[in-house]
Amino acid sequence: MSLLKPSPRLQKLIAASVSRTSRPNSTAASPPPPDGSLPSVATSAILRTKRETALRTPGIVWADEDASAPSRIIVGGRETRKMNTYQAIRDAMSIALAKDENAVIFGEDVAFGGVFRCTMGLAEEFGKERVFNTPLTEQGIAGFGIGLALMGHTAIAEIQFADYIFPAFDQIVNEAAKIRYRSGGTYNAGGLTIRTPTMSVGHGGLYHSQSPEGFFMGATGLKVVIPRSPIQAKGLLLSSIRDPNPVIFMEPKILYRSAVEQVPVDDYELPLGKAETLIPGSDLTLLTWGTPVYHCETALHLLDAPPPELESVVPKSLRGTKVELIDLRSILPWDVETVVESVNRTGRLVIVHEAGMTAGVGAEISAEIQKRCFLKLQAPVRRVTGWDLPVALQYEKFHIPDTIRVLDAIMETMSY
Amino acid sequence: MIRRELSVVSRASSAFSRTFSHSTTRSRDLLPTTSSPIVSKLKYFNTVTGSDAQIPTYRLLDGTGKPLEGAELPDIDEKMARRLYEHMQLLPTLDNVLYNVQRQGKISFYMTAYGEEATIIGSAAALENDDEVLGQYRESGVLLWRGFSLDKIMAQCFGNEEDTSGKGRQMPVHFGSPEHHFHTISSPLATQIPQAAGVAYALRRDPNRRSRSIAACYFGEGAASEGDFHAGFMLASTIPSPVLYIARNNGFAISTPSSEQYNGDGIASRGPGYGIDTIRVDGNDILAVISAVKEGRKKCLEQGRAVLIEAMSYRVGHHSTSDDSFAYRARAEVEDKKRIDNPISRFRLFMESRGWWNADEEVELKARLKADVLQAFKRAESLKRCELGELFTDVYGGQEPWNIKEQRQELTQLLKKYGNIWEPWRNELGKFKNKGQDLLKDANP
Repeated sequence: MSLLKPSPRLQKLIAASVSRTSRPNSTAASPPPPDGSLPSVATSAILRTKRETALRTPGIVWADEDASAPSRIIVGGRETRKMNTYQAIRDAMSIALAKDENAVIFGEDVAFGGVFRCTMGLAEEFGKERVFNTPLTEQGIAGFGIGLALMGHTAIAEIQFADYIFPAFDQIVNEAAKIRYRSGGTYNAGGLTIRTPTMSVGHGGLYHSQSPEGFFMGATGLKVVIPRSPIQAKGLLLSSIRDPNPVIFMEPKILYRSAVEQVPVDDYELPLGKAETLIPGSDLTLLTWGTPVYHCETALHLLDAPPPELESVVPKSLRGTKVELIDLRSILPWDVETVVESVNRTGRLVIVHEAGMTAGVGAEISAEIQKRCFLKLQAPVRRVTGWDLPVALQYEKFHIPDTIRVLDAIMETMSY
Repeated sequence: MIRRELSVVSRASSAFSRTFSHSTTRSRDLLPTTSSPIVSKLKYFNTVTGSDAQIPTYRLLDGTGKPLEGAELPDIDEKMARRLYEHMQLLPTLDNVLYNVQRQGKISFYMTAYGEEATIIGSAAALENDDEVLGQYRESGVLLWRGFSLDKIMAQCFGNEEDTSGKGRQMPVHFGSPEHHFHTISSPLATQIPQAAGVAYALRRDPNRRSRSIAACYFGEGAASEGDFHAGFMLASTIPSPVLYIARNNGFAISTPSSEQYNGDGIASRGPGYGIDTIRVDGNDILAVISAVKEGRKKCLEQGRAVLIEAMSYRVGHHSTSDDSFAYRARAEVEDKKRIDNPISRFRLFMESRGWWNADEEVELKARLKADVLQAFKRAESLKRCELGELFTDVYGGQEPWNIKEQRQELTQLLKKYGNIWEPWRNELGKFKNKGQDLLKDANP
């Protein structure tokens, strides 16, 4: 759709930007400088950088085990490998292709490895009949994938940037989402998974930064999934590919290289429709997904131990605040149970997302939570989001819901 | 025979690998992205025939059912001819009844296929019955040809409990049946065109159907203006996908005449632009349609990629029951077309010239078809709708999401409270099988 479509040059720019903003800190004790868009991803405690913790990822289901057997956590006997997010996604697709002869991958520029390297080597490994380029047509890619899925095949389609998914909106919303229903269950597009890079990247401007998950939230019949890390990306992508429904899988592109974990090399799945509580707490529920998970984590560090320049704005009384951080992971259907349980305990909710506020995902969740938790709420539900503006290139730091805005919203909500 | 099939397979597979290999330019005189010859004379062009002439229309029978000079008729015996004719006659019989039934308010909507009987029945007959069909909405004749019963047609139009196309969820004429390899119709135009490429690619990847089955995709000349037409044609020509695209050019998209739909030489002129083998056929000549579709189907399998047939006809009926076409075209024009260029009478004359049909048989056939249709209509009319709970099923495969479950429970509670006292609901509940009791029995106390 765009001339800016990631030339190798843009790809390098993105990579450079990520490495600039993800420099590790020398000591874990001092909080990272609150200047970049992702100050803490390299040192995030949320990332599972050790084999033992990786293998204990909550909700992990090994797909090579007998599903009917009692679930168990195996730590010995499983290998992990250090992977960034794009490598984990590639690993998931490699497993999907190896185990399912009917699985194919297609999209713009996927054959040489993809502009974000998510399909590196797959065409060589599985053949060009299974991993191939399409002409530059998003509506065509979605329609082609639906056709494959109608025949019971597994279609893994890529839309190069989520910003360019809109030409396929008709195929996704009117067709993929509704086929099972309109045909009385005789046909379905359940074999379709559409992967697409999403969220801001530092300099993506209007059309390499968008977070369109809210537009799909009302498209019943679809599932919408957003991972936060390599382990999540692999497990959720394998679940998405195997789910009997069409899934939009949105990959936060700034995390492709910056987020690194020890990822189990075996075939495993993580549940769709389930949020994950990353940090337990009792005073406030902080709900987010994708890239802002790390802004939120950093904000909690700043709240706990503000650096000298922020000491004056962080009241001492709030420094011991116990904030519960939840990664929603699935936008549709979203995990109402986990969020309600949390808010009923904490009485406060702050929702953080990069997309604009009006009619965004936060609006839906706020409405449902105020309905279900009305008597327990001690402060209005607060939304920290991108402004209701396109993502302007040179203004990005003032547009996205970054660490300081999350910190401010937590403090405001706590002192309401 | 076996030898021939094998050669088809090997040709098809070489087409497959050609697609994915890079072509190299041999001559230094050529540009890197085309094998176009270089010329020094300035000349624009605007025709695919190279002579400023229009693409010709392939026809075998003239208006009186007589073969044209040099025409090679398809191999059709009396039995096949009678079957073709009966199905051509079945379409207007069915259309007459359902059109009138809609006018009486017994069904909500209907679309006839008047004037396109030869295109629809001829193409259906030339396809294999397990070729995957993706249609627009005026192709129910393909289903009838494949044995989809009149009861099922009626069940869908009435949305009753026997509707296997969609449990009464879609508007009338949105048929579908995996058993008959007919993908469920949807209203958004042209969405089926890129989907057909994916279906065909799947056929190509299936060892049991490769070299044996194609996808056949129908659409009108109006739908061909959608972006999905462009997308589908590109995909099916660049990614080896054996789709036979059948454009029904009937001159109108609702009120818009084709002169306001495109400025080129119809839809056929676009095929070569995509590198697709193309033919224009007289859509009112069932023998020409059969020959063109058979040959197109063969090309699809041999080349492993898309082929285009533009079938020229005339939409004799209104666009739908929501349209009065005399608001934008003269009644006399339509009457002329019906009289002068009628696909059914043309084929009848052909059959009569062979001694395969006569006036008595015509009377008997029309009476029999009408009786069959009326019988199916009466049966459908007496049936209830599906259970009300089907409103909430089939949205997702697997586990039902919480929001749908809760909303079903909410409707159930409302039914308990108002189902007997709120007349609009009470009346409506009576039309459903079990009157909504399937929901109420699961209600929380």
